[in-house]
Amino acid sequence: MDLEDRPEIAAARRPARKGHRVLVTGVSHYLGGELARRLETRDDVAAVYGLDIDDPKVALERTEFLHADTRHSLLTKLVRGLAVDIVVHCAVLTEGRTPARAMHETNVIGTMNLLAACSGSGSPVRRVVIKSSVAVYGCEPYAPSFLRESMAESAQVGEFLANDLREMEQLVQDFHVRNPAATVTTLRLGRRLGMRELTPLGEYFLLSRVPTFNGLDPRLQLLHDEDAVEAQYRAAVADHPGVYNVAGDGILLLSQAIKLAGRPQLPVLFPFWRAIARAQLKATGFDLPAAIADFLAYGCVVDIDPLEAEFGWRPPHTTRDTLRDFLARDDAGPPTSGPQEYELSQYLQRRRRLAAGARR
Amino acid sequence: MGELISPEDRTRHQLGLLYSDVNAELRRRSSNGHRNGSQRPARARVRLPAPVPDAIEKLKAELPVLALQAVGELSLRLRRLTGRDVIDLATMMAMVQFISQQAELANRGEAMQVDDFGFDQEWTESLLPIFRWIYRHYWRVETTGLENVPAEGRALLVSNHAGVLPWDGAMIKTALMEEHDHPRHARALIAQFFFGLPYLSWFLRRTGQTVGHPDDSVRLLERDQLVLVFPEGVKGTGKPWSERYRLRRFGRGGYAQVALRAQAPIIPISVVGSEEIYPMLGDLGAIAKLTGFPYFPITPLFPWLGLLGTLPLPSKWRIQFHAPVRTDLMPPDAADDQNLVMTVSDQVRDTIQQGLYDNLKLRRGIFY
Repeated sequence: MDLEDRPEIAAARRPARKGHRVLVTGVSHYLGGELARRLETRDDVAAVYGLDIDDPKVALERTEFLHADTRHSLLTKLVRGLAVDIVVHCAVLTEGRTPARAMHETNVIGTMNLLAACSGSGSPVRRVVIKSSVAVYGCEPYAPSFLRESMAESAQVGEFLANDLREMEQLVQDFHVRNPAATVTTLRLGRRLGMRELTPLGEYFLLSRVPTFNGLDPRLQLLHDEDAVEAQYRAAVADHPGVYNVAGDGILLLSQAIKLAGRPQLPVLFPFWRAIARAQLKATGFDLPAAIADFLAYGCVVDIDPLEAEFGWRPPHTTRDTLRDFLARDDAGPPTSGPQEYELSQYLQRRRRLAAGARR
Repeated sequence: MGELISPEDRTRHQLGLLYSDVNAELRRRSSNGHRNGSQRPARARVRLPAPVPDAIEKLKAELPVLALQAVGELSLRLRRLTGRDVIDLATMMAMVQFISQQAELANRGEAMQVDDFGFDQEWTESLLPIFRWIYRHYWRVETTGLENVPAEGRALLVSNHAGVLPWDGAMIKTALMEEHDHPRHARALIAQFFFGLPYLSWFLRRTGQTVGHPDDSVRLLERDQLVLVFPEGVKGTGKPWSERYRLRRFGRGGYAQVALRAQAPIIPISVVGSEEIYPMLGDLGAIAKLTGFPYFPITPLFPWLGLLGTLPLPSKWRIQFHAPVRTDLMPPDAADDQNLVMTVSDQVRDTIQQGLYDNLKLRRGIFY
């Protein structure tokens, strides 16, 4: 398949302008979309290319949207053809309810293809930022109170998301060894509630009665959406090689969080064999992913000092602030306002016209 | 002067004070409830007012006072009958206070604060009366050498470990809260296994304990806390009766390494009495393996008496805090010197073992 066969890619080709050319995957989601929007505003960024299989949900000005998935043949042409020098990989599913198999395809195979496309001699890529999650540690009752980046390998987890993420990070590690010219940053983002797109954890705190595991009251740590975008942005615009945890300062006990949410707590779930509890919840109409069930049983708190040491920045929203903002958002009404939606439709129309022109 | 007021009148007077106290407390609490309600209308909407008759509501509000009156009346009659205090009013008062305080703490709502390790200081201190009673009256603990524990700043407390359940940790913590000139909370490191158990893990975290991991101890020491470790671990608590007061291997000296790394002094502690609370006659390894517990003890009372068998025996306890080992004065890179680490560890172990022998001599018998 030639590059010209894809009208979006052909349309995205522009006369070379000075500056970075950034590829952002997963722009249909909040993190990728917001990141692309932040990158657009920079003068030293010549072009931003957004890649996803769904339409973006935020209005993008300069970003060229490419309607494609992370298939290898396509990605190689894309990276080389557009001379992309910065790749931010946000198309990693860590929070949602995607089935295990599909998650594996996206997280492991998708990342493998992307990294393969970025590797090799003559690759224009100089900086790669990979989104990962603190889910890579699993949620162990025996884990130390603050997990450090080096502890992911020793964690004994059978949970599929953690295994996938570990496999993915291993691929990133291999890429880094084989391509020393490129700076590789892996960001293990903390659990988010989702201001725009509710994560299952966010939905959990909005239940009218919040079921919890009997006899367990884990320590929770959350990451604010804005801080997640900010961390990725900082990693995209400057070299910060290595693996870093990103999460809010401080902790909340689950019972405290539920009290803050102003909802009654029901300590009814059986604490062992959490599949039983998940089946129970599913019967009542709430689908709780396995990784989140583990999180609500034993919690997961990470050390963010290495992030501060490298980035000179600490997520400004604490765990408590994050929950407060999330609950305030609930009262604020629908997430997308009218003008934004109008802008978005204009943007999508423009993109289609562009694509049609290229096809002709 | 004592003859002017009869003991019975004094009791009546005390009772009167008690009633008025409880009444005032009840009034204060109900008015608090109203204020909270007006502040958070959203919460009020969730709790629908149940159609309860006024008479029952009134009875419910007065129930504590009525119960107190009944107990007071009973204590008076018993005194008249037997001629001595069968039900002690001060204890009763303390119990009423304890229960009302617990109810208050349970309804703290957003005011509840815990530290990054999940330690709820306010609630932990509210439990002190129970442990104080056990400390003073049940095990009659005699503590010496508390002046060796600094009033502020970090220190690693290292103790011997015995007696199936970690009561020794609870008593060391109580000693520091009760008898130290500057009451301090010690943060104990607990075997990882216990953090997988419901309720127990919850209780341990709330009262300031954390997972036995070198990372956690260094972190706590760096926050200038007192950290309490039991290097013997479950090998110490699970040892048979015949081996009592013989220290096990002190792990691999990891605790000494932690102290050197965090530049904290090590304070060795010898606890005498904890070995006798559950004389361990045997260990059902098969059941332990099945349930995942580190051991399944057989004592004279357990498992024959079921839950009653978990009552510890009232032995006589002595706790001695020894002079600190000045690991805080050694250079920070000393932590990588395995030879030095093992030397420090051996020194601490010897101090504790010698302390055990000394205190055993000072004790006249197991129970007194």
